[in-house]
Amino acid sequence: MTSLKELQESFQAGILAGDDAILGEVNDSAREKRTVLFGVYRNAYVARLAEILGEDYEQTHAYLGDAGFAQLVKAYIDANPSDQRNVRWFGRHFPDFARETAPFANHREVTEIAALEKALADAFDGPDAAPLNIDAVAAIPAEDWPYLTFQPHPTAIRLAFDTNAAEIWSALKDETAPPAPVRLPEPQALLVWRQDLMARFRPLPAEEAMMWAEAARGVRFGVLCEMVATFAGEDEAELRAATYLRGWIDSGLLAGCRVETG
Amino acid sequence: MNTTKPPYLGFGLGLRPQHYEEILSGSPAIDWFEVISENYMIPGGQPLRILDQIRERYPIVMHGVSLSIASTAPLDMDYLGALKTLAERVNPRWISDHLCWTGVHGVNLHDLLPVPYTQEALDHVVDRVSQVQDFLGRRLTLENVSSYVSFGQSEMTEWEFVTEVANRADCWLLFDVNNVYVSAFNHGFSTDEFLHGVPRDRVVQFHVAGHSHEESHIIDTHDHPVCDEVWDFYREAVTHFGPVSTMIERDDNIPPLAEVVAELDIARNIAREVQEGAQLTAAE
Repeated sequence: MTSLKELQESFQAGILAGDDAILGEVNDSAREKRTVLFGVYRNAYVARLAEILGEDYEQTHAYLGDAGFAQLVKAYIDANPSDQRNVRWFGRHFPDFARETAPFANHREVTEIAALEKALADAFDGPDAAPLNIDAVAAIPAEDWPYLTFQPHPTAIRLAFDTNAAEIWSALKDETAPPAPVRLPEPQALLVWRQDLMARFRPLPAEEAMMWAEAARGVRFGVLCEMVATFAGEDEAELRAATYLRGWIDSGLLAGCRVETG
Repeated sequence: MNTTKPPYLGFGLGLRPQHYEEILSGSPAIDWFEVISENYMIPGGQPLRILDQIRERYPIVMHGVSLSIASTAPLDMDYLGALKTLAERVNPRWISDHLCWTGVHGVNLHDLLPVPYTQEALDHVVDRVSQVQDFLGRRLTLENVSSYVSFGQSEMTEWEFVTEVANRADCWLLFDVNNVYVSAFNHGFSTDEFLHGVPRDRVVQFHVAGHSHEESHIIDTHDHPVCDEVWDFYREAVTHFGPVSTMIERDDNIPPLAEVVAELDIARNIAREVQEGAQLTAAE
């Protein structure tokens, strides 16, 4: 008798690879042939995962249309048998897959729309952390400010786009006609994060993007101010740095700060 | 290990995000909620926050879909750890999953796959249930699944298999009324044989759901209202088992909350009629 282990391997190969060996182990019913009955499992596997990807990548679907999205989804499901207990993470490679898979690879905005959707989903149910409170920061003595380091909120994700994918996403989300895809002259930095239980994003000006990246690495505020001065001029550099910082605190982008004098 | 039999909770619904707002703003007349465990096995954010709020108002039961208790792959201790962590947060009245497998070799097929009813599979499942119960520190509740194929190698009926698992592993049973109906149609057995074939004192919950009839077979889709035949079988189940916590599953084509609550009222009425009938019989 086929062992339970062999039977399950054969059953799985029947679903994933269309292998028919399992049909030798299962019965016809009084009303139906085994090929049709086993087909229920084959169909359900693809249908369920396609439905999940459709929910996770709603605007990518809207952008590509039903046929294009179905093509990308089928290729993804074929290439990526789920290795996750939780279907929530089945589609996590979808943006990268779109970047590497013809003909989508030639349309950079597709991977970027999908990357934005993935980042928003990851921010939505990412780890909890209380946002840094402005009063806590205001209470820090002025002489300690140069030594302040900042801890990004754990849901904060920084993206860099080569196209206007964020504008396309926003238009699709609003159910309006999206702009034509264009390559940007310079990469566009975006921050995605969760505030008040809602996932959100905003584009970052180049100087702020630089300061965010350095702050996220743990660079002290005094050094951040010098970097801002180097980036776009010394005139009011500290004010510019403080303004960015204030914006981050007000929008819940930071989870903590500490004075590092060591 | 907590071996206390779970309490009777009345009539519940599956918690679905489409209904969050109505539940929190309206406090509808629903006795308890069943949550899909995996939907809340996430780092944080709104879903867990809402679950905390609902938990303060209603009893919660956790229902998993990927324990894969009958798989020959090793138990996934990361999954079990996350399940236990969620249970510590939610304090569910019980934890259930399905008497099935979902994949081998690190793959998850996200489906509730059938088991051959053999001595080998029985020994394997019993051993796994014991390990999981030891890890969770509580008894599991296992649900019979809908199936579309039967195996040539099966040595016993499904109800004999279910009974042996429950008795030997010392776990509870979730009697899915619709799944018994679906599998009985697909494999040509009698729903009554199944009903009378499983141990009454092990059954702690009913599931009732809609399905899709494909003429030669029925698929368990949870995307329709419960049909008359399944309600009839529910009446038989309540008559046989007595009051059992009942819950309606709806996973696709999810209607407004009021519609599912109205379906739940059908279950309440059937259970009341059965109880009144029993009292009348006793009085005679």
